[in-house]
Amino acid sequence: MIWKHWPMDISGNEGCTLTGALSVTTEVANSITLIHGPAGCAHHNVSLLQAVHLARDRISMPRIRSTDLKEEEIIFGGENALEEAIRETTRMGPDLICVLSTCVTGTIGDDVGGVCGGDWGIPVLALENAGFLGGGFYSGSLQALISLAGLCNPAAGNGTVNLIGEKSLEYEVEEQYLETKRLLALMGVGVNIRFVRHTSLPEIRRMGEASLNVLRDPGISALGSHLQARLSIPYLDSFPVGMEGTLRFLEKAGDYLDLDSSRAIKTERTHQRKILSKFSQLKGKRIRLDPSLLAPNDREGAFELLDALDMALDPQGFRVPVPDPFPVGTSGLLRLLHRWRRFAHA
Amino acid sequence: MMKQIALYGKGGIGKSTTSANLSAALSEQGCDILQIGCDPKRDSTRMLMHGRLIPTVMDLVRERGDRSLTLNEVVYEGYHGVRCVEAGGPEPGVGCAGRGIIATFQILEKLGALHADVVVYDVLGDVVCGGFAMPMREGYAEEVYLVTSGELMSLYAANNICKAISRLSSRARSRCRLAGVICNAKNLPREEELVSEFAEKIGSTMIQFIPRDQVVQNAELNKRTVVEYAPASRQAEVYRSLARQILNNRRLDIPIPLEMDDLEALAYGYLRE
Repeated sequence: MIWKHWPMDISGNEGCTLTGALSVTTEVANSITLIHGPAGCAHHNVSLLQAVHLARDRISMPRIRSTDLKEEEIIFGGENALEEAIRETTRMGPDLICVLSTCVTGTIGDDVGGVCGGDWGIPVLALENAGFLGGGFYSGSLQALISLAGLCNPAAGNGTVNLIGEKSLEYEVEEQYLETKRLLALMGVGVNIRFVRHTSLPEIRRMGEASLNVLRDPGISALGSHLQARLSIPYLDSFPVGMEGTLRFLEKAGDYLDLDSSRAIKTERTHQRKILSKFSQLKGKRIRLDPSLLAPNDREGAFELLDALDMALDPQGFRVPVPDPFPVGTSGLLRLLHRWRRFAHA
Repeated sequence: MMKQIALYGKGGIGKSTTSANLSAALSEQGCDILQIGCDPKRDSTRMLMHGRLIPTVMDLVRERGDRSLTLNEVVYEGYHGVRCVEAGGPEPGVGCAGRGIIATFQILEKLGALHADVVVYDVLGDVVCGGFAMPMREGYAEEVYLVTSGELMSLYAANNICKAISRLSSRARSRCRLAGVICNAKNLPREEELVSEFAEKIGSTMIQFIPRDQVVQNAELNKRTVVEYAPASRQAEVYRSLARQILNNRRLDIPIPLEMDDLEALAYGYLRE
């Protein structure tokens, strides 16, 4: 409980757990997410998700419904409204319903888990992370991933890989995925499921069949450990980042999967050199970027490029962008170098 | 001028009995009275209504929503013209009773129900959340009376309510004050002295000592207030005295709640013998 309070500047904070959970649950194909609370909680988030989707040319609306609570339900309790909403939602034929609690239902003590635990004919997941209980976007998404992981069972590994915790709201989410998939394919390794990105419930149930989990970034290591304990699947804690990082990724994945990665690494190194050679105009350029804004992995990725192209850091140099999160794999570097070349007028 | 008073105190201490008898006595003294039960248990006005549990504001809202409610549906006339309202609330164990009190007040305002010579708010034992402090807020009760016996737990609850009053009265526009302590006795030795000393220690005064009397039970079993059931009894005279005290009371204090240790020491000093 918080005793001392002062107004905070929320711009640097990471928002509401609800938004984080929705960024995950709305990615389950043929599922519906039900927000148990006032309509506004759903509206804000639908608007945000739809705006982000439109910016990525994704036309479909996220499938979110609200129990649309008013003062009456707050006074007399919202459990009946929730039951009714779940019943109505099951008639729409989803494979899965995810129910998210909100600040007010958490405050009045609606037993969301109890209602969801009824016999609904399909799985109804309760995610009781009412916003005011603390945490932000990331803890909300982590909690949602952990809850969804409860839907799958351990199975024998088939040599494939699960991609865990893709950031469905990041700008180049598909590019990052395709690059990681390409790199794994260099060793003949396929992707089992994306957890969770356009992923169906039957696919989620098959999550246990992979032999390795690759986390989107180290921020969700807790999930990696959770899945390792539950499904006995080891994990790599990040998608590949940077030139050396990409090669190390291949090596580590090979080790976990008991594959010889040397040919894949050799092929990729040649590919990286070829790409660098296309950016000879950047050689010797003086650029500036703010390394304090970068995560350690990302910093390494950026400095590596500086070295490889003999660029120098200079507070008076051309300001170049370093996206957060840092672009994935060798293709990510290619896109980054294109931008740097433009910014450095090279 | 309209007087608005609220009775607070530990659950079961006799707030509703005291409120109902107070309202009956005030009414007999010529005042127009509105008594509002602010407890989901809804039994504040039962004796005034001769045993009838009147429909609560929240019952009506639950059945019909708040749009079509009229004054006649929420206000019921009881003994000697005392007008009675019960806030009601959710079923035990669900929802938010505190919000129910807030909604009730808003509805009563909207219906223009809050007018009388004296409005008596009979409030749930513990001020567990903001909703149950509603009667103390700006525009409502300016005089809070604490009902307590000499039992430690009852004094403890009264002391806790002092915390709510003193916190609320620190707000710039708040006019809510502690107006006095009513001792509803349990027949403990030296109870009157103890409660009187407690009242002084918190910066107030005991305005009435109500002795324990079997006639209260008898009246209740006959679904009447003592004032109505046994008007000639000594107990009825006590309630009439309470009514006069309250009508004439000009004392309004910001209480100073006691520390737990001091409260215990106070009670121990009396109960040791």
